[in-house]
Amino acid sequence: MSVHDPLAGGRPVSYGVRRYMPSWRWLAEAMWWVENSFGRARADARPEEDTRVRIFVIMSLFSAVFCCLAVGAAHAALFTAKGGVGLETHPNAVVRADMVDRNGALLATNITHYGLYIDPAQVWDRKAAAIQIKRALPRVSMAKLNRVLNGDRRLLVINRLTPQEKVAVHALALGGIGFEPEDVRVYPLGQSARHVVGNVDTGGVGLSAAERAFNDEIRAAGAKGETFQISIDLRIQGILENELAAAATETRAKGAVGIITDVQTGEVLGMASWPGSNSRNLASSATYEMGSVFKTFTIAAAIDTGRADMNTLLDASEALQIGNRRITDFHATNKVLTLEEVYLHSSNIGTSRLSTEMGPRVMRDYFQRFGLLSRAPFEIASEMPIIPREWSDSTLASLSFGYGISITPLQMAAAMQALTNGGRFIPLTLRKGGRPDVQARQVISPETSLTMLDLMRRNVVRGSGGRAEAPGLRVGGKTGSANKSVNGHYSTAHAVGTFAAVFPADGPVNARRYQILVLVDEPQTYPRTGGFVAAPAVGRIADRIAPFLNVQRRADPYRTAVGDKIIPAFEDQEGDGR
Amino acid sequence: MSSAVAALNRLYSWKIRGVRWVEIIGVMLVAAMVFSVYLAKAAAARESARITDLERQITDNGQRVRLLRAEVARLEQPGRLEALSRGAGLGPVDVHRQATEDSLPSLKAVPAPPPAPVAAPVEPAAPAAPVAEPVQ
Repeated sequence: MSVHDPLAGGRPVSYGVRRYMPSWRWLAEAMWWVENSFGRARADARPEEDTRVRIFVIMSLFSAVFCCLAVGAAHAALFTAKGGVGLETHPNAVVRADMVDRNGALLATNITHYGLYIDPAQVWDRKAAAIQIKRALPRVSMAKLNRVLNGDRRLLVINRLTPQEKVAVHALALGGIGFEPEDVRVYPLGQSARHVVGNVDTGGVGLSAAERAFNDEIRAAGAKGETFQISIDLRIQGILENELAAAATETRAKGAVGIITDVQTGEVLGMASWPGSNSRNLASSATYEMGSVFKTFTIAAAIDTGRADMNTLLDASEALQIGNRRITDFHATNKVLTLEEVYLHSSNIGTSRLSTEMGPRVMRDYFQRFGLLSRAPFEIASEMPIIPREWSDSTLASLSFGYGISITPLQMAAAMQALTNGGRFIPLTLRKGGRPDVQARQVISPETSLTMLDLMRRNVVRGSGGRAEAPGLRVGGKTGSANKSVNGHYSTAHAVGTFAAVFPADGPVNARRYQILVLVDEPQTYPRTGGFVAAPAVGRIADRIAPFLNVQRRADPYRTAVGDKIIPAFEDQEGDGR
Repeated sequence: MSSAVAALNRLYSWKIRGVRWVEIIGVMLVAAMVFSVYLAKAAAARESARITDLERQITDNGQRVRLLRAEVARLEQPGRLEALSRGAGLGPVDVHRQATEDSLPSLKAVPAPPPAPVAAPVEPAAPAAPVAEPVQ
């Protein structure tokens, strides 16, 4: 046995290795150490070590590989993800979740429809097939059917076949007929609540209203096979739509809007726009000068700033002159009025005096905080209000009774909420339970809010809102009547009648309370004022929705639980028995 | 220590018909493992197929349920129900005819219906003999 340098054979020369990285060099040397173990063993006179080393190395390598495989297999077997078995997705997963109302009633759903395909090469008698398919599926176009049947490749004839239509065509047992499933968004309520629910495109992307506002959340819920709830109560929505349509038809109006909200949470329980089919949502996309409803905000600001209280007297005995402008009352009383009388008689003179006394800074501040000067913060995109550029005394007077500013019904609803829930401005929402991400903004004090609630109730009992009374439900509210501007002039033939109501108006500021706004656009019956065209609808709506909202009928200082007048007990103040 | 190693070496080198017992046990263990893995995989495949089938059934049933729910929603839409109710002469209950559970005791009792007159027993009259109509 000769001793020789084992590196002298196939091993690369050492200076070549120096060019590599240290780790690579170490690996190469280790490999060569193993490779030359035979030579070393012989050199060390231990030839038996040669095979053992090799076997050991190979066994070690295989053992390591098999250990890795075993660990991998055990991990895969024991720690497989839950969805690893069976379908990758939830069995009830859909592109978009079912949209349901606050009680779980279905508003929108996805139903599998089918596209009808025909491969003409597999159809024996094309003429007979065309006749049979047309008979089973009358809405299919005969021209399209013949074109596909006489073509040379498989083509779509018609899509969105309902499951029933598919069964009808399938039952013909014709060759060459195929169906491809397609997910279609279906609105089983037809046009009801469509302005709230919205619609989607063919790709399942929300285009309008709640479908658009909650697009991502609806798709995420659909992937998990869950439903998506919105704040609407379908029963209330149905009543609102029916009563709104009745009011609009009765007054031969051009349009009408109704909104019902929970004043404590900002949830929209019902929102309707008439006419309903394929028209824009007037609640969000139309602005109106709403007239005397604004007197509520003017008086609230005056009370809240301490400039007025229920004992304040305002002179309405004669017209108010501001520059060249003469402000008069629609129902002139020609006397000095208390604040309550100003509100109940809807005195333009009284509120104009208050607004000019408060000045532009205060008025602007309150209007801003009531949300009357900016777009309504709502999930459905809404129109910007039209607000005055300059705030002169004349403008302030106009603003005090609802002219010179055009707002959306959504803004009015949100502002009325702030008036009646203790003074907190809460954005309206279609999200059930309200918006958790929004902090309420204090607009007026709770005391002012209580005073306004009482004034609104008195207005229904003794003022212009008498037709909104619903027995035992303590409805309070304010009428609004405004002429519309046509060609730059206010036209008496084009009016808007509004009634903004709240019920029950009694109880603490944090009591459960609901706001109803009804606006009738261009009524054709006379009188066109809100007290005649909108208030009756509010009364009927309150009367019908109260059981769904668990509002009990109760007496208040003005009316019994069944709506009878309460005659004050006789007080012998003079002591003369008269 | 060295005696223990020597004993272990002897145990390791113990052969049955020229094959180490360690290797025989190893082969048997491997065979058992292979068989058990086969059984487990076969059972898992069976279960997986069953799960897939059940999930397909759930999906099918889910679609049918969706269809039926949509049909129910269409039939129960408030506008339709109100039209049907009005057609049937139904309407909101008048406030004077409404009562809460608490107010039930205070409601005026419904007047008892007047006692039905008791007819004196009458002796049944003897049936008259049928009179034949003369044929015209």
